Amino acid sequence: MTTISSTSTSTFYTSSAEQLSSLQAQVDQVDNAISTGSQFTSASQDPEAAAQMRMLQLQDTEASTDTASANAATANLQLADSTMTSMINDINQARQLTTQAASGTLTDTQRAAIGTQISQIQSDLMSLANTRDANGNALFGGGVSGDAYTLDAGGNATYVGAATAPSLPIGGGQSVQTSLTGPEVLNMTDASGNQTNLITTLGSLATALQTGGSAAQSAASTALTSLSNGLDTVTTAQTVIGSRESWITLNTRNQTAASTARATEESSIGGTDVSTAAIKMQELTTALQASQSCFVRLSSLSLFNDIGN
Amino acid sequence: MSSNLLSIAASGAAAAEIALDVTGQNIANAATQGYVKRGVNDVEVASASSWSTANDVSLSGVTVSGITRNADTFLQTEARNTASNTAQANSTVSGLTDVETAVEDSGVFSAIGTFQNSLTTLAQNPTDSSARTSVLQDGATMTGAFRIAAQSLSSTQAGLQGEVSNGVSQINTLSSQLATINIQLSATAGGASANSNVTSSDRASLTDQRDSLLDQISQLGNVATTINTDGSVNVNLGGVSGPPLVTGGATNTLANTVNADGTESLSVGNAAVNLSGGTLAGNQAALTTLGQVSGNLDSLASSIATTVNAQQANGADLNGNAGAALFSGTTAATLTMATTNPDAIATAASGSAAGSSDTTNLTALTSAIGTLDPAGTMNTILTGISGAVQSATTTQTTLQTLSSAAAASLSSEAGVNLNTEAVNLVQFQQAFEASGKVMQTCSDIFTAIYNLTNT
Repeated sequence: MTTISSTSTSTFYTSSAEQLSSLQAQVDQVDNAISTGSQFTSASQDPEAAAQMRMLQLQDTEASTDTASANAATANLQLADSTMTSMINDINQARQLTTQAASGTLTDTQRAAIGTQISQIQSDLMSLANTRDANGNALFGGGVSGDAYTLDAGGNATYVGAATAPSLPIGGGQSVQTSLTGPEVLNMTDASGNQTNLITTLGSLATALQTGGSAAQSAASTALTSLSNGLDTVTTAQTVIGSRESWITLNTRNQTAASTARATEESSIGGTDVSTAAIKMQELTTALQASQSCFVRLSSLSLFNDIGN
Repeated sequence: MSSNLLSIAASGAAAAEIALDVTGQNIANAATQGYVKRGVNDVEVASASSWSTANDVSLSGVTVSGITRNADTFLQTEARNTASNTAQANSTVSGLTDVETAVEDSGVFSAIGTFQNSLTTLAQNPTDSSARTSVLQDGATMTGAFRIAAQSLSSTQAGLQGEVSNGVSQINTLSSQLATINIQLSATAGGASANSNVTSSDRASLTDQRDSLLDQISQLGNVATTINTDGSVNVNLGGVSGPPLVTGGATNTLANTVNADGTESLSVGNAAVNLSGGTLAGNQAALTTLGQVSGNLDSLASSIATTVNAQQANGADLNGNAGAALFSGTTAATLTMATTNPDAIATAASGSAAGSSDTTNLTALTSAIGTLDPAGTMNTILTGISGAVQSATTTQTTLQTLSSAAAASLSSEAGVNLNTEAVNLVQFQQAFEASGKVMQTCSDIFTAIYNLTNT
């Protein structure tokens, strides 16, 4: 790119070649930017932008994992939610039966029949408490493989799961527990103020009703209070699950907004502004054409063409 | 008198003919690399008077005293030095770009991200064997990426070291050629003075060769030159204070040594050579950067292995055993997976039973890696290299502008302009024809006088 007024012939050719190839290189670069949609072909063209792009792309990959985690957590929470709805239905049915059993007009045979039904409800509740999550682990067992509760011969249920429910990171530095443990759902205080759980309560009620006699009726009356307490616990737990679900929804919405912001940033840092690039291309090709025709004209100018004849 | 005029015309015709020859030579060499435009140095010949009084008319024509080789030493040195700096910048950029490509294309950065992600994914289902296997596979991909980076860097290093060895042997060949030219220049010196542009044709082409050899040597390494009175040149490598490479007809041998860290040192005899220009200097700079990058990669690889292995030891694996090391190796080249058993990932807290889906240790591991931030470190390494390439490219552009400017001003003074030569051709042709006309006149006068005496 040197301008020397009086120059040697070889300099004229050398600098013409330099000028034309420099313009050609610029045209190629703009062409590449337009066709690939990305402003840079190598990190050294703008190290800072390249570093930002790398981190943004890494965050994109992380975000897709977080989304998968959030979906898995939501699936588990929804499963827990619907399982608890079934539990509540069971408890309501048990309360209805217990109310009948508490009435003095029933015979022992009728109470024993109700006791059998309660016993069935108990085993239904037991199987609901041992529901498996998507991974085949105990949903209310803190994620242990196998059952959350075991039942002994006397109808007493014992919790054998982990102490806390598993938690999953769902992005933005947040994590959420994907379920509740059995005790958080089923532990309750009975009518006499003792700590027990719903399954055991139903077990003893069933046994008492099947045994018959006056104790059966009073057991039913007491159990009404206990069942009412149990219903409260399960309903509260279901509220907790519901609030976690909406927390995940909120967090996912934030993550989506962040991801949109990242996409905008990526395109503004690394993307090609097509209209600017197209105008630049036009400018460069005009200059290139002009330089080429200048070169052809100047190189045909030689004194040797005019002397001698 | 008339015989005197004839000899004057003859000398004019001869001088014009030589000038035409030189013009032809210039035209023929218009595109020859390193050719300096020649001119003819004519001087008037004066002799003892042939007329009445001493020294009143003493005309004896013209003679060619020598060939003018019009090269400005300052412009030549300027062009040579800037070209040397450009050569350095070019080889620095090309070496650093190789380093950048080696590290970027190995995919270490994205492999680290994928490994971290697969650990996060494992938290969704810590006992799932396919999730565990994918952690191990992503770990293997990451160690593979580190190995690829290390291998590419080491082959780039070998390539650069090869270029240095080549350059050194080229310098030695060129300097022995220069010594031969020096001997010939000294032998043909006669009464020539160093700064005189007037010389013989032979010496002019020897000088062209001398300058061309100096240009070639300075492309490889910067030199300081001293032109002696006989036209021979002394060369110091690496600048004025550098050790002598060529002194008259004697040469010293340049040698290269590979250091323990892979960089190259140069020496002439016992004296170290510090180059500040030429491709060798660029290669040396690229090797130094390569050594740093390679060291950074090694320590990153080692820190990942240490962090993961230490956290593994704090937990229990899927079989309820204490976690064993997941990685082995302490450098990028040696980093490998220590196990292929997916059960070996210690996700549960220490002392947990077999098959535990506890994620205490996995969470601790994820957070330890998060604190280490290997992706961030890798990003810094990559940004460092591409920053170095960028600044070297900027320097290269500046130096190229300078050196093409210097080359153009040298060429406009010393190079052949075909239009000027066309004018010269016409001018000398006319001079030759005019001398012929003088001879004709001389002959006519002689005939007139001869006829007078005959009648």
